[in-house]
Amino acid sequence: MRIGVSLLIAATTMLGVAGAASAQQTLQQVRDRGSLNCQVGLPTPGFYALAANGTWSGMDVDVCRGVAAAIFNDPGKVQYQSVTSAVRFTSLANGESDMLSRTTTWTAVRDGQLGLEFAGVNFYDGQGFVVPRASNITSARELDGATICVLTGTTTELNLADYFRANNMRFTAVTNENVNVLVETYLGGGCDAYTNDKSGLAARRSAFPTPNDHMILPETISKEPLGPVVRHGDNNWGDIVRWVLMGMIEAEEMGVTSANVTQMLQSPNPGIKRLLGVEGNVGQGMGLPNDFMVRVLRHVGNYGEIYERNVGANTPIGIPRERSLNALWNNGGILYAMPFR
Amino acid sequence: MSQLTGSPSSVIRRPATPPMRLGAFVNDATVRSVFYQAVTFVCVVGLIWYLVSNTITNMAQRGMSAGFDFLDVSAGFNIAFTLIPYREGDSYFRVFQVGIANTLLVAVIGAVFASILGLVMGLARLSTNWLIRTLARWYIEILRNTPLLLQIIAWYFGVFNLLPLPRASIDLGGVMYLNNRGAYFPAPVAQEGFALTLLALVAAVAGAVVLHIWAKRRLRDTGRAFPSGLAGAALILLLPLLVFLASGAPLAWDWPALRGFNFRGGFSVPPAFCALIVALSIYTSCFIAEIVRAGIQSVSHGQTEAARALGVKPSRTMRFIILPQAMRVIIPPLISQYLNLTKNSSLAIAIGFPDLVSVWMNTSLNQSGRAIPIVAMTMGFYCAVSLGVSFVLNLYNRRILLRER
Amino acid sequence: MSDAPLVFTPRPADPPPPSTIGVVGWMRANLFSSLPNAILTFLGGYIFYVVVTTIIDWALVKAVWEAENRRQCLDLVGRSGACWPGVVEWIPNLIYGLYPKDQVWRINIGFLILLAWAVPLWLPRVKSKVAIGLSLVLLYPLLASYFFHGGAQGVVWTALIALGGAAFLWVWLTTLAEMRFGLGFGALVARLAGAADDERARRIGWGALAALYVLALLVVSQLRFVEVPTRVWGGLFLTLVISGIGIAFSLPAGVLLALGRRSQMPLIRVFCVTFIELFRSVPLITILFMFNTMLPLFLPAGVEVNRLLRAIVAVCLFASAYMAEIVRGGLQAIPKGQYEAAAAMGLGFWQSTSLIILPQALRIMIPSIVGNFIGLFKDTTLVSIIGLFDLLSMSRAVGEDTRWLGLFIEPFFFITMIYFVFCFLMSQYSLNLERRLGEGQRR
Repeated sequence: MRIGVSLLIAATTMLGVAGAASAQQTLQQVRDRGSLNCQVGLPTPGFYALAANGTWSGMDVDVCRGVAAAIFNDPGKVQYQSVTSAVRFTSLANGESDMLSRTTTWTAVRDGQLGLEFAGVNFYDGQGFVVPRASNITSARELDGATICVLTGTTTELNLADYFRANNMRFTAVTNENVNVLVETYLGGGCDAYTNDKSGLAARRSAFPTPNDHMILPETISKEPLGPVVRHGDNNWGDIVRWVLMGMIEAEEMGVTSANVTQMLQSPNPGIKRLLGVEGNVGQGMGLPNDFMVRVLRHVGNYGEIYERNVGANTPIGIPRERSLNALWNNGGILYAMPFR
Repeated sequence: MSQLTGSPSSVIRRPATPPMRLGAFVNDATVRSVFYQAVTFVCVVGLIWYLVSNTITNMAQRGMSAGFDFLDVSAGFNIAFTLIPYREGDSYFRVFQVGIANTLLVAVIGAVFASILGLVMGLARLSTNWLIRTLARWYIEILRNTPLLLQIIAWYFGVFNLLPLPRASIDLGGVMYLNNRGAYFPAPVAQEGFALTLLALVAAVAGAVVLHIWAKRRLRDTGRAFPSGLAGAALILLLPLLVFLASGAPLAWDWPALRGFNFRGGFSVPPAFCALIVALSIYTSCFIAEIVRAGIQSVSHGQTEAARALGVKPSRTMRFIILPQAMRVIIPPLISQYLNLTKNSSLAIAIGFPDLVSVWMNTSLNQSGRAIPIVAMTMGFYCAVSLGVSFVLNLYNRRILLRER
Repeated sequence: MSDAPLVFTPRPADPPPPSTIGVVGWMRANLFSSLPNAILTFLGGYIFYVVVTTIIDWALVKAVWEAENRRQCLDLVGRSGACWPGVVEWIPNLIYGLYPKDQVWRINIGFLILLAWAVPLWLPRVKSKVAIGLSLVLLYPLLASYFFHGGAQGVVWTALIALGGAAFLWVWLTTLAEMRFGLGFGALVARLAGAADDERARRIGWGALAALYVLALLVVSQLRFVEVPTRVWGGLFLTLVISGIGIAFSLPAGVLLALGRRSQMPLIRVFCVTFIELFRSVPLITILFMFNTMLPLFLPAGVEVNRLLRAIVAVCLFASAYMAEIVRGGLQAIPKGQYEAAAAMGLGFWQSTSLIILPQALRIMIPSIVGNFIGLFKDTTLVSIIGLFDLLSMSRAVGEDTRWLGLFIEPFFFITMIYFVFCFLMSQYSLNLERRLGEGQRR
């Protein structure tokens, strides 16, 4: 007992010495470690999908890869931490993850009270319902008294309660933290409707035994701006994540892609010159090389490429981008990058 | 180091230890004991202080809050099953209470079913019928050797999710309905004057207890037995019933009825609750069955033979000779199985039944982000239950131990 | 005319009535001895039949074995039959997690070494079983960490790993020597070298061990394994690592805690009781949760404790508290006379505990320890909740693969089978052990 305790003390003291030396800013920590600790969620198609060979891909994964590319010029230098949504914010707050990129909705309480900092929005989503066609329901307003399957611990759960309260309707929730459990319950008739962000509904519906027997209701009952998150307090690190994301969107607007980024270095357009670091010193202020966006675009691509590759109409997820919220602002959407200057 | 003698009652202290290499003082039992304890104390307290101070620094640095101020904030989410009233606008503290009530409900109902099933299976394991004995053995082996988490999910999807839709509900005598949204019962609604019946029930229970004590005393004094169990049961059943009828049956029923999507009215439990109860009871019953078997087998066969030789009837042998002795072996592990059941009910999270861990340590933590107070409160609750039960168990143990000598 | 002695030759016994022998007789005696028994038999048989046929129908008869994705399965049989190709494709991941495919052989070798290390424990003629068992618990983890994790090793680590390697060599050399000559490895070398007296023999024996160590050191310093970080560990492999470390750590810790709980020193007793009761009274899931979120806060800023390590710390502490109670039970079962006799012989506390009490207590405790291990093995499913890719999380990942989206029941059924096979084998072994150990004590 005594020996055990003294060993423990000795061990923790040693850790303490080692720890005190490395209490630095996030960017420095990431550089020292040689890799970015990027938190994603449990595997979800389209956003953070895990393939049988162990590689991660998806909309949110590409944000991680973009940040890694900006810092190391190598998008592979990411350690993906896949954790349940229950521990996502504590894992970020306690310093385990450097950033979080996992379809997390930007809300005031999360931003203001949980010590988090939202770095932007990489996907505008909204919550919807899927119901069996046989039920003859055509609008969410007809769901009074229904049993509804909902993912727990998410804003979805709160929106659902809000929507029913606002419309003076009642419902019974069937909650779970595993989408497949909910889908199985729904298919088995355990609930009258299944609700989730609409981005996921279409993909799930396509995997139902008979997709045409189910339909997605027209209503969108919430705003779900999803984006990467960093810890409160390290503003420089927040800037890096924010401007990598902005850069990807700006690049699409300017027509710079992974394929033509090298030619674009010669472009006479001053906007492109600033974006790619040929002119100006945008990167320097953040502790990055000025051409950090060249690295990002070369390895990961612009926002449009990322979208089409992961969730676009030609993927199994199949979310059309035309005129949706996620189109560029000059194309009917609300995606709008702040100026690179 | 003879001060550290293994068994508490066999303290062997040599009063005059001959001086050894380091002298009498160093080898003095008391001095060394004090020294060791002081060192341990300093180490443990130092360690705790170190951890706590680190935590405080880290939390301040990362802007995390350990306060309990969020308890008053409105939670805003729906809870599928609540034993005590709850609405979306209620506070987080109310959610905590809802979670505790649900957990305790599962624990109590689960313990009752697990005990019955465990007793049956324990006896089946000793049955003379080969098939029953073998089935019981495989029942225990299979269910004991798969993780409970997987069993809960299997029950949920394998059985309760496969029940018919509300429109095609299984109708149990027009009283109870069973479908894949849950089980629906009529709920009693007390009318004016129902308190009299309750009063009669209390009186009947008290009467039954008095009767039992009197019968026991008479048996001891005169040797004549009185069927106090039967008489007591009759009293408890009949007296309230008589009062109930006499006061004009002041009880209305709220019947479940199919309206819209599902049944409304009455009292209902969701399928997740049923799956959880079934899985927990069955899983725990395997361990209880083994405890019962071991308990009965632990009573020496000589006891049965001696009772026979004295002409005691077999049923009475079981009741007065075997069971009281077996109980002594059965009770302590049985209680610890009940505690395990309570702790295991935390796996409800897998099928979304809103127990304490699911609704508090998962949903509320997720929505409020206050990890430290929430985890501390959860652990505090389980600790309190466990320590309370242990305390009662220790009292009981002491009682049966005293009787032994 | 010799009159032959009158010999009594008994008439051969009548054969037993046909209703009491053979299949019919066995059934009458065992299945249909009374009306209630017969009813129970039919009822039991019916339930058994329904359950088994339903499962077989789904898992085998209607199952799909070849498909490109789940859509094809669904188009063929809908949800009435299992869709196995997705599970088959993910089997390597279910077993090894995301461990690089070209490095998986290291895990296999690691577990083969474990088996080889444990085999001598079952060989009847091996005498040094205690030493082999201890080396297995204390030194095998060093070697295993080298195989599983790899990467650049410092001087200290290399020395420790070589210790594990040398121990493994010693185990098998000693086993062979004892099987063949009835002598330990060191003694055999001394005999072969013609040692004259005990002192020299001992010195030669140690020399031989040192030579083994140098050999192991040479091998270890030459081998270089690519580093495989713990975050890609997963599946059955991870489950075994966590439960294995948990049980190995909890044994010594549990013994210390149990001794502390029975100690005469009030402060030590209070600490031990508090620790044991605290960790036994809360669900493992809350402990895992606390360690996962709080451990980084307990330590100074900048110290990174990896996720696996945090889970292992939680599991170890939890398992130690349970083990302490098992050990306490074992200690209580030792008759008081043994303590008193040891004290009368003038043995001190540590001597009497380690030489008299613990060897007897451990013998009694083996079945409970195996039971505890089974429990721990099953409980590791909970680490999935804090985001480690154990068997359960890995099975969930199958259903989130874009091609197999929604495939949930099948992988789940598969891992249930894995758990069952492992736990069942262990529990049978424990029963067997209980029977053998109990033989001497039963009437």
